[in-house]
Amino acid sequence: MPVTKKTGVNSETGIPGPAYNQGPDVWDKVTGKAVYGIDLQLPGMLYGKVLRSPHSHARVIRIDTAGAFAVPGVRAVLTASAIKNKPYGIVVEDEQPLAGDRVRYIGDEVAAVAAVDEESAGKALEAIKVDYEPLPAVYDPAEALGEDAVQLHEQYSGNIAWERDLERGDPEQAFKEADLVVENSFSIPSVHPTYLEPIACVASSDYMDNLTIHTALQSPDVVREIISAALELPLSKVRIIGPVMGGGFGGRVYGNLKLYLLSSLLSLQTGAPVKMQLSREEEFSVGRPMIAAQIKMRMALRKDGTFLAREADIITDNGAYSAQAPWVSKTLSERNDALYRIPHIRTRARLAYTNKVPTAQYRAYGNQAANFASESLIDQAAEKLQIDPLQLRLKNCTRAGDVTGHGLQIKSCALAECLEEAATRIGWHNRKKNRGYGISAGIHASGSLVLNQDFRGASARAVLELDGKVTVFTGEQDYGQGTYGAFSHIAAMVLGLDARQVRIYCRDTLVTPHSQGALANRQTTIGGRAVQLAAEDLKKLIEEAASEMAGQPVKMQEGRLETASNRDLKLEEVARYYHYRTSGLTLNGEGRYVPPPSAYDETGYGNISVTYSFAAHAAEVEVDRNTGALTVHRIAAVHDSGRIVNPHAARGQVFGGMTQGLGFCCYEGYLFDKGRVANASLADYRVPTAMDVPGMEYSFVETEDPEGPFGAKGLGEVVQVPVPGAIANAVADAAGSRVTELPLTAERIYRAISGGECER
Amino acid sequence: MSYMVAASLEQALKILHEKGGNVQVIAGGTDLYLKKPLPDLVDVSSVPEILGICRDEGMLSIGAGVTHTEAAASAVIQSEAEALAEACRRVGSPQVRNMGTIGGNLVNAAPAADAAVALVALGAKALLVNHAGSSREAFVEDLYAGYNCSYVDGSSEILLRFLVEPCGQGMGSAFMRFAPREALSLPLVNSAAFVRLRENIIEEVRVVIAPVKPAPTRLVETEKLVLGCKPGEDIWRKVEYTAASEVEVRGSLLRCSEEYRYHLVGVLARRALKKAVERALNRQRR
Repeated sequence: MPVTKKTGVNSETGIPGPAYNQGPDVWDKVTGKAVYGIDLQLPGMLYGKVLRSPHSHARVIRIDTAGAFAVPGVRAVLTASAIKNKPYGIVVEDEQPLAGDRVRYIGDEVAAVAAVDEESAGKALEAIKVDYEPLPAVYDPAEALGEDAVQLHEQYSGNIAWERDLERGDPEQAFKEADLVVENSFSIPSVHPTYLEPIACVASSDYMDNLTIHTALQSPDVVREIISAALELPLSKVRIIGPVMGGGFGGRVYGNLKLYLLSSLLSLQTGAPVKMQLSREEEFSVGRPMIAAQIKMRMALRKDGTFLAREADIITDNGAYSAQAPWVSKTLSERNDALYRIPHIRTRARLAYTNKVPTAQYRAYGNQAANFASESLIDQAAEKLQIDPLQLRLKNCTRAGDVTGHGLQIKSCALAECLEEAATRIGWHNRKKNRGYGISAGIHASGSLVLNQDFRGASARAVLELDGKVTVFTGEQDYGQGTYGAFSHIAAMVLGLDARQVRIYCRDTLVTPHSQGALANRQTTIGGRAVQLAAEDLKKLIEEAASEMAGQPVKMQEGRLETASNRDLKLEEVARYYHYRTSGLTLNGEGRYVPPPSAYDETGYGNISVTYSFAAHAAEVEVDRNTGALTVHRIAAVHDSGRIVNPHAARGQVFGGMTQGLGFCCYEGYLFDKGRVANASLADYRVPTAMDVPGMEYSFVETEDPEGPFGAKGLGEVVQVPVPGAIANAVADAAGSRVTELPLTAERIYRAISGGECER
Repeated sequence: MSYMVAASLEQALKILHEKGGNVQVIAGGTDLYLKKPLPDLVDVSSVPEILGICRDEGMLSIGAGVTHTEAAASAVIQSEAEALAEACRRVGSPQVRNMGTIGGNLVNAAPAADAAVALVALGAKALLVNHAGSSREAFVEDLYAGYNCSYVDGSSEILLRFLVEPCGQGMGSAFMRFAPREALSLPLVNSAAFVRLRENIIEEVRVVIAPVKPAPTRLVETEKLVLGCKPGEDIWRKVEYTAASEVEVRGSLLRCSEEYRYHLVGVLARRALKKAVERALNRQRR
C-alpha cells in the first residue's frame, strides 16, 4: 500500500474538493443556542424520578406506595408489580425496567414517580416505604467467579455473564520453543465517558399510544427496537427524536435504557410528557461506565525479538447488569492481537457479575486497556532482550496485506511509518536528560460488520431542494466528532458544490434512514460511503432531468450544469422543472453501501470490519523520584486513518482523544467503598483539566484505503488506544520500574520506585 | 435573598450594623456561592480600604479584597513575599483565582487554604473592623475556630488587610503544594516556610503544613531542629523525618494512603524550607 502523503499540523490543503466545513451545529454550540436534552420542555410536562436501592444486594419484601400517591401533584407511581416489567437486554436479557423481588446494586431502580414538578416527585419518593432483607454481596470479580460466591442471576450460573476460550495456532508449543517468556498482571479500573451533558429524555405519548422519546442517542434506531420490544408496543408506534447531543464517547450508544423505559411507562400511564434526567452524581453511580479489567498476560519471543505467542487470562467486571459489556470484553480481549504478527494465541476471558454499578460501553471498547497491558509487556521484553523498543515493534508490527491471527484482513496499513514518525517527533533518537520516553501502537476496527451481519452497511438519501441546495438525510449521529461536517463535505465533493450548500437532516427515526448508529467507527467509513453513493445517484438524476429539460445531453461538472451546446443551467431551474413535472416530487438520490460480508466462523475467526485504522503515540515524561509526581511533557500522535476528509475535525478528534486517553491513564477510574461508588462527582472523579494537558502534536500518514469513501478510515476511537501504553512505558523508562495498575497516580509511581515502601 | 454592593467602608459597616447579624460579607463568592440557602449579602469588593497592595510603615499591606490573580502577579509580593505569590498562583483554578480573594480564602477557613498557609508562614497579621467601627489585629493562625470555621464573623466584621514583613536581607520564603491535578484539586499536602538568616545561621524560622488540623499548622519541632543551625545537606534528612513525626495525618480512599501522606509531609516541609533558605542566602549575598 503506497503512502501517498503526510499531513502536517496546520495543513488545510491537499484534499480534493471544496473548503472544509465545521458541521451544522458548531455555531449554535459555541453561542449557547444549541438545544440539548436537558433543555427540553414540552407543554404539560411532568417530572419523573426514581427510587433507588440503598443496598448492594437485598430481597425486596414489600413496597408501600400509598404515601406517594397522597403527595399533591403526583400523577403516577410505578413499581415492578404494576407494570409488565418484561426482561430486556442488549446481549443478554438480564434487566427489567424496575427491580422485582431483588435489588443487585446500590442504585437499582425500585420505583418511579411522575409529578408536576421535581420537588413533588422528590417528596413522593420519600413517601415510598420499602422493606428489604439484605443479602450477602460480592464486589471483586475474581471472587465472584469462585465456587462459593453469592449468585447474582440464577440464569447465569457462576456469575459468568459471558466467557470465551480462544486458541489460534499452537501456543503451548510456541511457549516451549521460546527463548524468552515475559509476563505480568495488570489492573484497569472502570471509567466513565464523562460526557458534558448528563443523560436526559422527555417521553410523550398520545391517546393511541404513539410514543415519542426526545433524547440524544448514538444509536437511536437500535434503541427504538429495544424499547418497542420491552414495552410490547408495535415498532411503528415508537419514534425517537434527538436534540443536540452533549457528548457521547460511546456512553450514549444505547444511553440509559432504564431512563427511556421508565419515562415512557410514566408517559403512557399519565398521557403527559414526562422528563427524566440523571444528575452528575447519578451518572457516576447508576450510569453506565466501562468494565474494569484484570489482565494476566504472557508473551513468548525468540532471541532476535520475533513474537511467537501470547497468552492472556482476562477477568472483566460486569457489575450487576450487562448491556454491551460482553462486546466490550470481546474487543478488549482480542483486538490488540492484530496489532503485531503473533502466530500463536491463547485467550481466556470471563465477564463476572458483581454487586456494583452496571456497565456498558466507552470509546475504543476496552482496546486501550489491553494496550496498556500488551505494550507494557513488549517493553519488558525489549529490556530483557536489550532491543530498542521501537525496533522491536517495527520488527513485529502488522503490515498491509496481512491476514491477522484472528482473520482480520488488513487492506491498508501504515503502522510502521506511524511508529517511526512518532519516535522522530518525540526525540526518540535524541533524548533529553532526566526524561522518560515511551512508544506504543494501536489498531481499531473501522466500520464494524458484525454488530448485525445482515444489516452491516448504511444508507442515505440526498435530495435536491427547490432552491438548488442539497439536503442529506442520514441515520448516522454526530455528537461533536464531526460526522455531519464530514458528510456535507463528502456530498459536496461528489456534486462539486460548496459544503455549506449541503444541509444534513438527522436524528428523527420517523424520517431518517435507519442505521446501526455512531459506534465501531462506522460513521465516516460506512455512513460516509452511503452519503457518497447517494450524492452520486442524485448527480445522475440531476443530469437526467436537466437533459430532459434542455432537450439535449447535460453534464454536471464542478457544480455546474452545462448542455452540449455550452448553455449553463441552474440547479434550481432543474429542481423546479422536475418538481412541476411530477406534481410535487423532488429529485431524490439514494445510496446504500453494503460492505462485503464477513466470513466469521464459530471460533470468531474472520474479517470483522470494513477496514482498520492504525496509530502510534510516543510520550516524553518526567518523574519526581521523591514523590512519584508525574509530568507528561509531550505526546506525539501519528495516525493512519486513510485519507483525512476534514483536517480541522480530525485535529479536534486527535486532541480530544489524547486528552481522554491521558485521563484514562493518569487521572480517572472508579473507586469503590464496597459496592458504593466513592468518587461519584466531578470533584472526586478526576478528569484532566486544561491545565493538565501536555504538549500535543500529531500528523497523519495518509493511506488510500480501498473501502472507505475517498479512502477515508475512522479516527475517533483509535486515537485513545495507544495513549496508556505510551505514557506507561515512558513512566517506566523514567522511574526505572513499572506500574501495572491504572491510573498511574503519584503514589503508585512512588511505590514502584521505592519498592513498595513509603519512606519517612 | 438580597444583594447589596457597598460603595464605602462606612456604608458597609452601616449595613452590617442595621442588619444585626442577618447578612453576610461577600468579596468574590467562589466559596460562598456554593452554600445553600444563600443569606442576604453585602458585597465589599469595591470598598477602597480592602483593595491594593502598598507599604505601610515598613510592612507590606495587602488588601483582603485582592484577588489571587492580582497577588500572584504583583511584583512586590513576588519579590518580598514569595511564598504568598506561589500560593496564590496555585489556588483553585484560573477562574477561581480571578474571582476569589485572599481575605475570602482565609475567612472560608478551609484547612488547606493555600494563601492562608503562606500567610501563616510569613507571620502575617490580619486587620479587622466590626460593625461598631472598632478595629482589631490578630495573627492569621489565630483566626481559625475549627474545621471550615473562622473567628472572623462575616455577619458583623470585615477583614480589611494583611500586614506582612517584607523579606529583606537574609530572609526568604517559599510555598509548595502537592495535588493530584493542576487545577480544581485539594492538595494532599501543602507547606510554606519562612527563614531569617544571620551569618548563615537560621535565627528565625516558621514552617507550616496543611491539611493536618483545622488550621494551617506550625511544625514546632522541625522549627526547633533547625533554629540556630547552619543549613547544610546533613539537616534536610532530619527535617523530613521530624516534620512527618510531629503531625498526625490520615489516609483516604479518595486521596492517598496515610503512609504516603506522611512521606509527602516530610518531602514538602523539606522542600519549602530548603527553598526559603536558598532565597535567604541569595539575599544575603546581594
